[in-house]
Amino acid sequence: MALTLSRRLLIQSAAATALLPLAKVPALAAPTTIDVCTDGDTNISDWWINTLKPAFEKAHPEFSLNIVITRANGGNLTVAQRVVAAKKTSTDAKVDFFEEFDPRELPGAIEAGAFTKVDETVVPNWALLNPLGKAETPFAIPYRASQVLIAYDSAKVKETPKSWAEITAWIKANPGQFIYCRPDKGGSGSHFVMRAVHEANGRDPSLFKPENFDAEKAKKLFAPAWALLNDIQPFLYDKGAYPAGNNPTLQLFAGGAVSMISAWSDQALQGISQGVLPETTKLTQLQDLALSGGFAFSSIPATTVHKEGAAKLADFALSPEMQAKMIADFGAFPGIDWKNLPAELAEKYKAIIPTSMPFFPGGQWEAALVDGWYANVATHLTRS
Amino acid sequence: MTTAASAGGLRQGRIEHPRRSLFRDRGWAVGLALIAPAFLLMVVLIFAPAVLSLAGTFFPAGAAGASLANYEHFFGDALSVLNLVFTVWTTLATLLVLLVVGLVVAVYLRFSQSRLVAAIQVLSLFPLFVPGIVISFALIRFLGPTGLVPSILKAIGITGYQTPYLHASGAVIGLVWENIPLTVMLLTAGLSQVSNRAIEAARDVGANAAQIFIHIVLPPLTRSIAVVCCLNFLQIFGSFTVPYILGPAAPQMMSIFMQRTFTEVHLADAAETQAAITFLVCLIAGVVYSAIVFRDSAAKGTLAA
Repeated sequence: MALTLSRRLLIQSAAATALLPLAKVPALAAPTTIDVCTDGDTNISDWWINTLKPAFEKAHPEFSLNIVITRANGGNLTVAQRVVAAKKTSTDAKVDFFEEFDPRELPGAIEAGAFTKVDETVVPNWALLNPLGKAETPFAIPYRASQVLIAYDSAKVKETPKSWAEITAWIKANPGQFIYCRPDKGGSGSHFVMRAVHEANGRDPSLFKPENFDAEKAKKLFAPAWALLNDIQPFLYDKGAYPAGNNPTLQLFAGGAVSMISAWSDQALQGISQGVLPETTKLTQLQDLALSGGFAFSSIPATTVHKEGAAKLADFALSPEMQAKMIADFGAFPGIDWKNLPAELAEKYKAIIPTSMPFFPGGQWEAALVDGWYANVATHLTRS
Repeated sequence: MTTAASAGGLRQGRIEHPRRSLFRDRGWAVGLALIAPAFLLMVVLIFAPAVLSLAGTFFPAGAAGASLANYEHFFGDALSVLNLVFTVWTTLATLLVLLVVGLVVAVYLRFSQSRLVAAIQVLSLFPLFVPGIVISFALIRFLGPTGLVPSILKAIGITGYQTPYLHASGAVIGLVWENIPLTVMLLTAGLSQVSNRAIEAARDVGANAAQIFIHIVLPPLTRSIAVVCCLNFLQIFGSFTVPYILGPAAPQMMSIFMQRTFTEVHLADAAETQAAITFLVCLIAGVVYSAIVFRDSAAKGTLAA
């Protein structure tokens, strides 16, 4: 084992090692990296990392995607604040694409010019969009949609509730069998609370607009909703043991602890197709006024230095192939119009394709909603 | 204490070299120089922002000068006070359970001759290597409404199981599990000071197990118990993940309340005040801990001189 290392060999190999990185650079034309921020649930981030990223990189070898998960600590809102700050100082915010961020949620962001205006010339597939989503804002791309609906176990629930009155009657008749999650921890909970707010205000979603928030008005409009929710609280699972998110709620349902929950359409559909939820799981939507939902908007920061790549990515996500894959893989509603998708797909999801999608604004309205719920509903626990 | 005393005794007996003593006299300067970088880093990254933040809570936005408005708002808000009380309650309840469990395990580890000791030791350190989020979801599977425990109880005919999941007791169970390793380690270290001879002597004069525990085992352990209480208090008071997933929606632990106030309700001032109040409560535990440790090292110092 006498390995003799001559001085010359040592110097030669050291020199070769030192030169190695230099030799590699011209050999590999490194693809441009597009930084994508997502704060969606794991089903969304998993899909972007495992499905969209490889497909996009195959179709556009000149780009590579760096998917950054920003779920914790304020999510994309925090990153968007950085974008606005970067715009004001004309620097690169080091983010090229938001998987989901609606610039309207950050007051002043659009006025500051922090987000790219999008149309057919920038993103050709913009033309295929669902007119409902397209009409909302030119500063964001409604690439997918989801809605909260009611999931129930048809083995235990015989009569499907079709209205708010019917569902509350069912809850009271079947104590401990229904639950929704804390509204700040999961959309399936907040949209149920929003539906109560709509119910308490003549089922008129138009009362709540991003630009008409007023703290006093909110307090007044929310008060009757708290009464509705407090009314059903003693009949909820464990007399109102609200789980800490969408997934913990689905787990209670999957384990059979409850037989009806409010759930995101995409998570429920994915749970059924993966066999995580019972086979007898059925989904339904309230007919008097649907639970709210909405489009998930992608957006492109104006500060990006990879404008072309970001636009290509947006276009790719809107392509009918990717949109169809999205429906099949995680039960999202497409951002593009159903007529631009295969007819058999539309047929398959006929039962839950939303005819209306009531909207409840985020930002201050939602903040007041969450705060009010904690103060008026969650705290009044009369639990042993 | 015993080792320190004997070491001091040895040192006293030795005639010290003058140079060595000179070096020891200048030792403080060398020591300070050595800790200076770490200390400066703490000042810049922790102390300064904490002091600024704390001071900021006394100067609310819109007020002309210093005011207690932020604190008046906090203590005037029933929900905030409820959350603070709940945090203190959860912390004390967890501490109590931890002490009982920790003492039992530590005493067993110290005095048992059983072959199981090694296994129990490994088991009691195991939570150290399991992240809080993992144990939280594992406990849901274990104690949840359709988990292992209710299933077994049901199989043997016991009904009426009330799950601790999403109740304060859920948070307490999770936090106890998470903090067992530190507790057992500190208490076992304290118990190593109890000599077998003292116990045998007590037994010889007819003391029973309870008397031995109270008069022989417990006294040298008080310092360890105090340290366990302080360190665990800090750890539990600021815990987030376990009470977030296993605890009730309301009232909330301060950490969760703070995070919600900051990221969901967008009230940075209120969140900062909540943080300041949490800090002040933890400061009490910190001061007690420091007092114990300083008193102890001061005592050691006198012995060594």
